[in-house]
Amino acid sequence: MAYTEEELKKELETKEYEYGFYTDIESDTFPVGLNEDVIRKISEKKEEPEWMTQWRLEAYENFKEMTEPEWANVNYKKPDLQAISYYSAPKTKPKYESLDEVDPELLNTFDKLGISLEEQKKLAGVAVDIVIDSVSVATTFKETLAEKGIVFCSISEAIQKHPELVKKYIGTVIPPKDNYYAALNSAVFTDGSFCYIPKGVRCPMELSTYFRINQAGTGQFERTLVIADESSYVSYLEGCTAPSRDENQLHAAVVELIAMDDAEIKYSTVQNWYPGDKDGKGGVFNFVTKRGLCHTRSKISWTQVETGSAVTWKYPSCILKGDHSIGEFYSIAVTNNYQQADTGTKMVHLGKNTRSTIISKGISAGKSQNSYRGLVQVGARAKNARNFSQCDSLLMGNDCGAHTFPYIEAKSNSAQIEHEATTSKIGEDQIFYCNQRGIDTEKAIALIVNGFSKEVLNKLPMEFAVEAQKLLEISLEGSVG
Amino acid sequence: MLTIENLHAQVDGKAILNGIDLDVKAGEVHAIMGPNGSGKSTLSSVIAGNEDYEVTQGKLLLKGNDLAELDAEERAHLGIFLSFQYPVEIPGVTVTNFIKTAINANRKAQGLEEMPASDLLKKIREKAKLLEIDSKFLSRSLNEGFSGGEKKRNEIFQMAMLEPALSILDETDSGLDIDALKIVANGVNKLKGKHNAVVVITHYQRLLDYIVPDFVHVLFDGKIVKSGTKELAHELEKKGYDWIKELA
Amino acid sequence: MEFKEKLISSYLAFEEDMDLSDSVHDTRAEALKVFEEKGFPTKRDEAWKYTSLDSLIREDYALFPKSEASIELKDVKKYFLYDTDTYKVIFIDGVYSPFLSNTTHDGLDVCLMSAALTKPKYRDLINTYFNKIAPGDDSLTALNTSYAKEGAYVYIPKNSVAEKPIEIIHFSSGNEEALWLQPRNLVVVDKNSQVQIIERHQSLTEHPVVTNSVTEIYVHQEAFVDYYKLQNDLPTASLIDNTYITQEKKSHASVHTFALGGKLIRNNLRFYHKGEHILSTLKGVTILEGKQHVDHSTLVHHSQPNCESHQDYKGIFSERSEGVFNGQILVDKIAQKTNAFQQNNNVLLDDKATVNSKPQLEIFADDVKCSHGCTIGQMDEEALFYLRTRGIPKKEAKALMTYAFANNVLESVQLPSLKKRINGQIARKLGVNLGFEL
Repeated sequence: MAYTEEELKKELETKEYEYGFYTDIESDTFPVGLNEDVIRKISEKKEEPEWMTQWRLEAYENFKEMTEPEWANVNYKKPDLQAISYYSAPKTKPKYESLDEVDPELLNTFDKLGISLEEQKKLAGVAVDIVIDSVSVATTFKETLAEKGIVFCSISEAIQKHPELVKKYIGTVIPPKDNYYAALNSAVFTDGSFCYIPKGVRCPMELSTYFRINQAGTGQFERTLVIADESSYVSYLEGCTAPSRDENQLHAAVVELIAMDDAEIKYSTVQNWYPGDKDGKGGVFNFVTKRGLCHTRSKISWTQVETGSAVTWKYPSCILKGDHSIGEFYSIAVTNNYQQADTGTKMVHLGKNTRSTIISKGISAGKSQNSYRGLVQVGARAKNARNFSQCDSLLMGNDCGAHTFPYIEAKSNSAQIEHEATTSKIGEDQIFYCNQRGIDTEKAIALIVNGFSKEVLNKLPMEFAVEAQKLLEISLEGSVG
Repeated sequence: MLTIENLHAQVDGKAILNGIDLDVKAGEVHAIMGPNGSGKSTLSSVIAGNEDYEVTQGKLLLKGNDLAELDAEERAHLGIFLSFQYPVEIPGVTVTNFIKTAINANRKAQGLEEMPASDLLKKIREKAKLLEIDSKFLSRSLNEGFSGGEKKRNEIFQMAMLEPALSILDETDSGLDIDALKIVANGVNKLKGKHNAVVVITHYQRLLDYIVPDFVHVLFDGKIVKSGTKELAHELEKKGYDWIKELA
Repeated sequence: MEFKEKLISSYLAFEEDMDLSDSVHDTRAEALKVFEEKGFPTKRDEAWKYTSLDSLIREDYALFPKSEASIELKDVKKYFLYDTDTYKVIFIDGVYSPFLSNTTHDGLDVCLMSAALTKPKYRDLINTYFNKIAPGDDSLTALNTSYAKEGAYVYIPKNSVAEKPIEIIHFSSGNEEALWLQPRNLVVVDKNSQVQIIERHQSLTEHPVVTNSVTEIYVHQEAFVDYYKLQNDLPTASLIDNTYITQEKKSHASVHTFALGGKLIRNNLRFYHKGEHILSTLKGVTILEGKQHVDHSTLVHHSQPNCESHQDYKGIFSERSEGVFNGQILVDKIAQKTNAFQQNNNVLLDDKATVNSKPQLEIFADDVKCSHGCTIGQMDEEALFYLRTRGIPKKEAKALMTYAFANNVLESVQLPSLKKRINGQIARKLGVNLGFEL
């Protein structure tokens, strides 16, 4: 019998206390609550320069003036921001001493996803010894990247070592007052990544393995800044297919991408935070702001596979400022049980001959709600702007919802915009056809769902695509009776 | 191979099959003919295990196994293959990926390991050649945007890949031009052997010129009203189905 | 004084002529409270994101015309569909004009809302239908309800076909400097009956006029309503049209909206289903120039299984005009086997023209076929060139292509004389005479 997501969730639900799923907070943790002092202390702890402290405080001033957004078809109990501790020491005690203590069924799931042993340890919260392997991998990585002049480090490190770059670019794509959660993030972020690709450099590897190893345990207010200088290229992978057990209910990350002239950034995400149990209890609120700025002839591609979180609120966007720039958004969002996903993109065409493509595939099962919300905006100066959008929804069962809210705004008579959306379900005839060929119903559904999502899966880097495919399968197991 | 005894079946409470008896032995080709609405396609759906049809009476056996309690995929694992009259589209799933999934599902049911990719590719190439299928075709989405002829050829290609014990060809000739018909028939003939059997369901005699049956049965009003050899097919072609109706 | 305040403070004057003990007046008073609380919608309301009423409500308007305007038939005849023999309910500055009208009580009722609201013989129908289809919480509808007094009342009894189309025309004469009109129409089509209605709002001189109209339509089982809205007013006239339709099983309701002229037009068109096997059709052609603004806001609420809806809106925008399409398909959990489709195609002819489109699907049932499509583009230059190589001048070629673009909406117009009329209006707008009909 296959181990299903359903069962995994059951495990998570029942084993929570048994295994003590809490972060063993060391003394170096702030009391809960949010105020100016807390923000000053965060900055102090991180030994940040004064400008950074001021920047955070300004963001906080903005934040205080803002109210939380409300969207159709998304219902949740708003998190109490005063009940969160905004700084905890990065080092927390391991939950287990070795993998042997971890629930074997969970490890089995990791195996199914093809996750390496070391990563499994990280994800399950096992103490990682001085692992020769990962350290050497990291070192090799660092050396290769350094040779090319690529900067790739934590945002905290970047503030220390490359303040000029951070100061120049942080908040330029997503100003601190952009929205409620972006303002909050700007005030209190404690971790995240920074990446700078110099002019003309093609980053020789997907910034993934290294990233993933370092990823586990990042905080709930992550800040990522990627700068691709002129004519450079980088492919960046974020997240992890493994079910992440994070006790932080609220995740409000900010990701800023800057593609200078002729540069290309490919940003891929697999998001599988804890979605809550089968009754909709618990689960992560994932309120992310992601935006890229495209200069002349540059290109930014967002690809995402969203299967986790209780509530997702996320619109990776492209500001197509430069002439001939290109924005792309490829998304698969799967919701099951009581999950709610409200995701989409904004393509803002400002430059001439800018092009954008949006392919969104939503799959709803259980009692979940899945919405696409997107904006295509063509400004008056954006001559010959082109957009193509395709939003398809697949409904599995009759207790879920699939919604499409596209906003299309055209102010240029040379714009060409095409938007299509369909809603359908898996046909009985399709399942019977597969059955007749010897394929059982669960496998048939996986096959059909993969087919439905293919245009997006194809956009993921190979190593991610295989995992993502399996993830879709696991996320939907048991969703059709 | 296939034994059908006094089979009755209904759909939405309406009786379609009213007592069918049929015995198909390994190595044989049987043709089932009959006018529209006589129950031909229902028979193939019932054998394949389509749950829209309810068996109310009678028995279905394959190689001595009672099929009554078996799901469609379990019947497929036993070796039943149905070439659909209207093959279903599955967007985004390539022909290759689909056949790979199907082969490995069948192998798993037999307790075998997955077929190594190199063997699979070799087999695909071989069978595609047999049915004169272009390799580009194999990377297209299953049945999506296929012409009628392409769909039918794809069905026989899957049959060639899966090597079933019992193949049921439901109106495989419809929608085929004469060249495609020959290719399909040639494919079926090459796959025919001592250990498998073929049931051809057709309205017209045309296909039977190329896939020569050992036995021909005429279905009318959910019953086999006449059985004979291939001459019966010619007789039907000449006289039409009206005289059969009088027999019933 | 702000116009909202005026609307509220003038209410006492309005009440002077009303029977305050009547239950209808309770409804009015309730509605005024809703409007008082909500006020005019603003761009902060999601449904009004792309249309602002600010410039309209900054001005002052007369609510009650001072004197009765007299209009000669010859001056307004051209606005009638005179080649068709029709029933007519005509209003001038909100006041019924018996002279221009042609009403009936012969087998069906085509008459006045004022009569229906006050005469005892209509009481049951008013209790059953008046303000029952329109939602209580929409502020503009509530505003109309609070002042509801006059308009057209149409009742088609069981198993009958209205032999002649009904024309409902609201003229504004220009006697008032600026006028705010609030007509209220009620159409009830009983079982297995049919009716065709053409509605039009027309200013006779250039003067500011805003019409906040509410029409409720109740379509009983197996009935068919074929409704046409002709919006080709002068550039000083604005219209907020709120039309609410409730359909029972196996009925068909079709609304065509031709938005060709006016300053600001907002069409709120809402369909509600109360039975299975219902068909709802919403079609529109919008051709704008100057600084005109038209906003089509539609809703088809599929709350029953096995129903079908089709929305098809075409827009052509030149100069500084603005088009908005805000279409919504809502499918409830129980509404299995729904087929709901929505199309919005737009052509931008000039650099300063704007289109905002927001086609939405909200689907809570799994066994449904729903889709929407939206395009924004230009005239196909290649096709235009092709036509010109065949000797058709550029202007005519453009006109021809505009027709072709709008044609699948035009071709479903069931009244030949209306179709001809609209064709003529489109040709005039495009400044061509094609000499043939499409």
